[in-house]
Amino acid sequence: MKQNKYLNPYLGGVLLGLVLLSANFISGRGLGASGAFKSMVVSSVNMVAPAHAGNATFYKENIHEHPEGVMKSWLVFQVLGVVVGAFISGALAGRLKFKVEHSPKITSKRRLIFALAGGVLFGFGSQLGRGCTSGSALSGMAVLSLGGIVTMAAIFGTGYALAYFFRKNWI
Amino acid sequence: MNRFKDSKHLQNIKHLQNIKPRVLLAMALIPLALVIAAVPENTTKPYKLTIEEVVGEITDGAQYFTADQIADLIIQKDPSIQLIDVRPKDEFETYHLPGALNIPISDLLSDEWLETLDQDVRTNVFYSNGTVQSNQAWIICTQRGFKNNYVLQGGLNYWAETILNPQRPDQTAPNDEFAKYDFRKAMNGALGGGTLEAQSTPASSAGTMPEVAKKPKKKKAAGGC
Amino acid sequence: MGPLSVNEIISSNTNFFLAFLIGIGFGFVLESSGFSSSRKLAGVFYGYDTVVLKVFFTAAITAMLGLLFFSLFGWVDLSLVYVNPTFWHSAISGGVIMGAGFIIGGFCPGTSVCGAAIGKIDALVFVGGLFLGIFIFGEGYPLWEDFYKAGFAGFPKLNEVLGISQGILALLIVLMALAMFWVGEWAEQKFPREEY
Repeated sequence: MKQNKYLNPYLGGVLLGLVLLSANFISGRGLGASGAFKSMVVSSVNMVAPAHAGNATFYKENIHEHPEGVMKSWLVFQVLGVVVGAFISGALAGRLKFKVEHSPKITSKRRLIFALAGGVLFGFGSQLGRGCTSGSALSGMAVLSLGGIVTMAAIFGTGYALAYFFRKNWI
Repeated sequence: MNRFKDSKHLQNIKHLQNIKPRVLLAMALIPLALVIAAVPENTTKPYKLTIEEVVGEITDGAQYFTADQIADLIIQKDPSIQLIDVRPKDEFETYHLPGALNIPISDLLSDEWLETLDQDVRTNVFYSNGTVQSNQAWIICTQRGFKNNYVLQGGLNYWAETILNPQRPDQTAPNDEFAKYDFRKAMNGALGGGTLEAQSTPASSAGTMPEVAKKPKKKKAAGGC
Repeated sequence: MGPLSVNEIISSNTNFFLAFLIGIGFGFVLESSGFSSSRKLAGVFYGYDTVVLKVFFTAAITAMLGLLFFSLFGWVDLSLVYVNPTFWHSAISGGVIMGAGFIIGGFCPGTSVCGAAIGKIDALVFVGGLFLGIFIFGEGYPLWEDFYKAGFAGFPKLNEVLGISQGILALLIVLMALAMFWVGEWAEQKFPREEY
């Protein structure tokens, strides 16, 4: 079956903007993703090594901030929604398929190693920067936050600065 | 003739469909942006409060931070909070909260502290032994148009009773009393332990302090990613 | 009126349920726009596919204008909407690390979830990396706690720093974004690639 084409990016952007607007209108906050991963990490550590989680500042603060349970956070529910929404869209467009996507010039193995390394960096950076592309850059820009716009410029600026060195992976 | 007209009409429609999405987007957004740039901003209420609003805030207790909240913020080293001790210098030197600044109420109007107090970066939290002086400081600063002013509920007396010397609740007490006790114990440990006798002002007023502000001020939704 | 949850018009459980629905919308739009494909995402850095640029900035300016209009009509109290704090050190260094992660891994957290949801194994591995990265941050937290909390500058908005009204700034950002789209479409014609 021929793959369905993607949405026009401007239409997609307007729709995404309306989703973001409704998040701000309903919950007074923007969209996010990495915060949900933080909740999952904190709750896993708390489950595996509760003594450690009660001791180390990072986990302790997070557990304390969510007295009803770390997983009962807005972003966790939102990210569960993302999984469902993306699956529906992929199913409708006939894009559901297990595969490793990579440039023909590199092997799957190399792609996966780089994906892991990129994930580690992004995970670390999102904690340091208090939010990822969606939470800090996109949502921050919508409310004209100085910090969000600075983070966005740093993300894209670094991406462009390093693009040359990793061109083989993508082109 | 008719057919010719039709095809021309069709061409027009086709022409419309051929407009690039980018141009369509520009045609929609630029006028909206012009409108929003032209209209005056719907500013939220001015910072200076009317007398009625001041009275309203005080009777609602909206200006209070509870001792538990402040203990939590101190331990998290929250940089957005600025604790201000409005007692005289000698009392400050005897005991003060970690990281607090000493601005005796008589110095509150001096230019020296103007920049510290009148900013929109950190939250001012005033405290004294009870809450009389800290509330005075709160009114002065709020009326001068400074932003983000709060008061430590119950003052240091209540702080000493709850955070520094938490009392184990009775066996029959509801569970959340025990949770509160454990929390305060933990806070005490994290703050370096130690005990402190209640200050000279009558302790009875501290003991009857309401546990929670009646109508807590609407705090912004937590955010972040 | 708004934000509904802050003004306690809806309960916290309703808020969580709506978060789930908002998430569905978020995921659906990201996936439909092609954000589940890392090569499409990385294209923005080489000019062959600027879909990221277009979707990202169109979304940001749409939401920005929407919020300003909502505020104008009195539908939402902007002073109750969360504005990200500004911590200079961590905003810049965190952004730089994330930028490196983006070009190396080809995803960001939100898009990797989308990719994983439709079966991209590289996206799933990226998600694993995210967990690891956050775990490392948590374990070493005492080492960078001071740095993490340094350079706090409050919750400033860009227009306050520039000393102009939000509306004027919004107009400038809209014009800038449209100019960027124009450059993006030019780049796509200059460096054409097949659709992935």
